[in-house]
Amino acid sequence: MDELELLKKDWQSREQELPKLSYSDIYQMLLKKSSSIVKWIFYISIAEIIFWTLLAVVIPNVSENFKISNRINDAMGLHNILIVLNIINYLVFGAFIYLFYKNHRSVKVTDSVKQLMKNILKTRKTVKYFVIYNVGATTLIMLAINIYYYINQEQLYALMVQNFDGYSAISQEGFASVFFLAQFIFGLLFIGLILLFYRIVYGILLRRLKKNYKELKKIEV
Amino acid sequence: MSIFCEYCNNLVSCPTNETANSTSLTKDLEHSFVTQLEENQNIVHKICRLYTNDQESHNDLFQEITIQLWKAFPKFRGDSKFSTWMYRVALNTAITLYRKKKRRIDTASFESVSFKIKAEPYDDTIEEQLKLMYSAVKTLNDIDKALVFLYLEDKNYKEISETLGITEVNARVKMNRIKGKLRNILNP
Repeated sequence: MDELELLKKDWQSREQELPKLSYSDIYQMLLKKSSSIVKWIFYISIAEIIFWTLLAVVIPNVSENFKISNRINDAMGLHNILIVLNIINYLVFGAFIYLFYKNHRSVKVTDSVKQLMKNILKTRKTVKYFVIYNVGATTLIMLAINIYYYINQEQLYALMVQNFDGYSAISQEGFASVFFLAQFIFGLLFIGLILLFYRIVYGILLRRLKKNYKELKKIEV
Repeated sequence: MSIFCEYCNNLVSCPTNETANSTSLTKDLEHSFVTQLEENQNIVHKICRLYTNDQESHNDLFQEITIQLWKAFPKFRGDSKFSTWMYRVALNTAITLYRKKKRRIDTASFESVSFKIKAEPYDDTIEEQLKLMYSAVKTLNDIDKALVFLYLEDKNYKEISETLGITEVNARVKMNRIKGKLRNILNP
């Protein structure tokens, strides 16, 4: 007799050994909250979207330092180009939020195992691209502005002296080396932290899902 | 106006008729769901037993599956059997949605839960074989376990393939491979 057939017979004859929950046991369970992966991914994704939106939209409008840096950028002749970049940024944000919402809606527990996994990974991917876009765009803009600053060092130095009291004590050369080094270190630290966050949070959440998805795809090859 | 809940007989007070209607609708839905799940709870217990190793995780997974079933229930149409629909949601939860919590693996309770083999109908060697088979199935990966589970539940390949989202041919091929794997463990 086939081994699995033997197991099947035994499997079906053991139903009475299973635990029995009562009506009220099950009813109590309806009142509890889910802690599924989808829920976690949803909350973290929302937190990320809020975080990046705050960083890109709110802080520049609230912070005093940013206002001064805006004034400096205006004086350096960057006003129009920054406005265009901002508009593009908002449009891309809107598109990402729409996509995330659409993908999240398509996650259904009644789909096949494979389809469900695919949809969850798709939702995740949207947010991943959103963050990549943000890190990338921020890096590029920071780089471009710094190159522009570098080329127009004298104008920048003059503006800094005008806006911040302490700067007149530093020479232009000294200012340039400290300023650009600080920008560089800040940029690296920022990107490093984001990457670390990703490795930790999603590594934990998605490891098993990715492994199982790979296993399912292997069957189809 | 006030009404009596037809299930628990408690007095339910509602300010308007509309609320009364929606309350009783929710009650209907809850009642119908819990009754059907109570009847079919074996399916969920079997999945929990296969995918977890201790009683606490078993209860956790049961809880999560119940919530997922309940969330999906309003869209459940009577065109398939409640149990068929349950297989899909429960397996999806066990394989994909459920977050395993880090726990010390309690081998003692695992043994007592999984290997309580009834002694009478089998001789010792068969009993020994079954023990080995169960532990072999437990070592399979999540996807293989799902295939074996549906097979043990006497599902045909069409149902197995639809539940997992693979083709029928591939489900057959995979199942044969798993059988071979298990045979090797049993007769090294």
